[in-house]
Amino acid sequence: MLRGLIRKSIFLGSAFVAMFFIYSGEGFSQSLEQEATVEENIPTEEGLTVKFADTDLEGAADALANASSYTVNLQIQDRSFPNGGGSVPEVEIRGVHNGKDIFLGIRWSDATKNDRAIKHEQFRDAVGLMFPLGIVKISPETPFSPRMGDRGKTVNIWHWKADWERDLQADGGYEHMEDQYPDMFHDFDSDPHPCIFNKTVHDSVDLLAGGISAGSLLSLPRGRSVEDLNAVGFGTLTAQTHQDVNGAGAWSDGQWDVIVYRPLKTEDENDVQFTPGKSTFFNMAVWNGEDGDRNGLKSVSIRWRPITLESSR
Amino acid sequence: MTLVHNWHLGRTMEYPYFESRPEHQFTAVFNINRCIACQTCTMAHKSTWTYSKGQEYMWWNNVETKPYGGYPQHWDQKILQMLWDNGNNPMEWFTGAEDKNETTAPYGLYNGDTIFELAQNKGLNQVAVGYIPDDKEWRFPNIYEDTAASEKTNYELGSSKDKESSELPEHKRWFFYLQRVCNHCTYPACLAACPRKAIYKRKEDGIVLIDQKRCRGYRKCVEQCPYKKPMYRGETRMSEKCIACYPRVEGKDPITKGRRMEARCMAACVGKIRLNGLLSGDYKKPDPKNPMDWLVHIHKVALPLYPQFGTEPNIYYIPPRWAPRAYLRQMFGPGVDEALDKYAAPSRTLMAVLALFRSTQTMIARFEVEDGPKIYESEVMGKKVEVYNDTAIGYASDGTELARIKVEEPTWESDEKRMVTY
Repeated sequence: MLRGLIRKSIFLGSAFVAMFFIYSGEGFSQSLEQEATVEENIPTEEGLTVKFADTDLEGAADALANASSYTVNLQIQDRSFPNGGGSVPEVEIRGVHNGKDIFLGIRWSDATKNDRAIKHEQFRDAVGLMFPLGIVKISPETPFSPRMGDRGKTVNIWHWKADWERDLQADGGYEHMEDQYPDMFHDFDSDPHPCIFNKTVHDSVDLLAGGISAGSLLSLPRGRSVEDLNAVGFGTLTAQTHQDVNGAGAWSDGQWDVIVYRPLKTEDENDVQFTPGKSTFFNMAVWNGEDGDRNGLKSVSIRWRPITLESSR
Repeated sequence: MTLVHNWHLGRTMEYPYFESRPEHQFTAVFNINRCIACQTCTMAHKSTWTYSKGQEYMWWNNVETKPYGGYPQHWDQKILQMLWDNGNNPMEWFTGAEDKNETTAPYGLYNGDTIFELAQNKGLNQVAVGYIPDDKEWRFPNIYEDTAASEKTNYELGSSKDKESSELPEHKRWFFYLQRVCNHCTYPACLAACPRKAIYKRKEDGIVLIDQKRCRGYRKCVEQCPYKKPMYRGETRMSEKCIACYPRVEGKDPITKGRRMEARCMAACVGKIRLNGLLSGDYKKPDPKNPMDWLVHIHKVALPLYPQFGTEPNIYYIPPRWAPRAYLRQMFGPGVDEALDKYAAPSRTLMAVLALFRSTQTMIARFEVEDGPKIYESEVMGKKVEVYNDTAIGYASDGTELARIKVEEPTWESDEKRMVTY
């Protein structure tokens, strides 16, 4: 009987500790996140169908123009600190594949083109696509966090950036300080033919430390405008060592048109894989640089949406 | 949010992470009274860390002229304005005996909102209030250099007591130099603001760093650090900040033979205004033989910069004697009067510790004072001052004697013949 009592007290004690942890969750998790809702784990009925089209990269834009579009409604990101965004109400997406590559056409309204992030107060326009890694079932019973994934539930994110697109057009594939500040070496020089003394001094010094020596994709010419990333929850976003996604984007008349593409299958185990005839899920986010959107300050879709690839013919 | 104790405020406050103090805390004491604004510290910093492209505007160390100067321009006025306009009980301190505690509330109790609490009270959905200075605000690091406040400011500020203490007979107008580096705060707002946890505070010495592999250039740190010391580098599209010359602090420079070395801006100080070292990890048990602990915790002659922001900054200042007290209290908290009383009529120990400033570039972990004869006697603001020619001795953490210096600086008069020869 005594033994039973000890056993019981251990059980009750641990139950008490567990409840303490559960009810003081905010303090212990050290996070400023809202609780997940049931709705977040119910994917939408409708989704994007990626049609088969016998096309190559050249013809992708035309094939996408003929594909039917799917509208993703966006809202302010209010689930994790810092909250923000919400200025882009919706984004339109189309998709085609040719059995080897998948092409996704994305279009959204944005009155201002923000394609540089050199000044303190400059933020870029961008769009992100998020896919669960691997073959998953998503339901309230089998949750898969639409908020940047979760521990053991990795997401693969494709992030097109307007300033990376602009970098591609620049000499050496990267915009430098002097592109933003053309007079930076002779700001106070009234000479109509200013000497470039300061510039030669400047260029004689190797770039010191910072992102360049850290090898960050942000700080170096990377020859692409889409970043291939993974995340396992808020704050864990990490660029892959192997970049597989490409894209192109253009802004005109208050509208961004972006195409991102990738082979259906890759060698990288951190990449989402597409099989014609099968489906997976996706979520989207749009950043409006004019509003200072970056990181969690963005317009997001909350519920997972199915993305289905038509069988190859 | 969790509750943490901030001893500058004499109370607990809201912060997104648990209280986790380092084993030692990188710190420095700046004696504003001695600064001549030669900017040698600024250039020592610049030529060491920020001479590359995209860092042209970056001055991790800067010296600005108060009250008008500021880098970035008006940084402190802007943050103070946010607290003043929107915060509860802005700048309200209780300084009665019951509000004070020797170790946990030495200056009294701050009753206003910190930058963290204001953001929470207003439901701003971010960890702190702040703003991102634009490029024009960063452009002139020494704007308003040597620009004095008008005589009027002495009278406009507060009670007759304030006037009295700010009016030195010779000086009706005033300005002073404020030396600024990253405060390597106990509760860094930059660290709290980073949504990626790319910023970390080192357990061994409390130095706050931005991981350049994790940073993605979101500039939340730039926005929410009230001291505006994280800076965005357009060339690399990510943010950088003062690194407290951590390789030197770790003793990696061969000159100090593995012992901790002062940061570049500290060691370069011509005016001997700076002493750089480490505070003991437990602020409740300061070591009276550690010069930093002694100045900050025990003698309380050195004060934090804008403690009301709530980040518990770790660079401490001996306030200038000639500026209006109300202005100084706003800047350094209510400890100003006690600190200035002690500085104006210094104790024997204070004279000895001040002599150690810039006597070595190895960090002094322990000091001793050997008694010497009385050499001078005077009266300052009604108080008797006696100066003894004591000897201050500084030791490294391994016990090596680093410096032995007398309070009275030795002088020699050249032989008359030598004068003729030259």
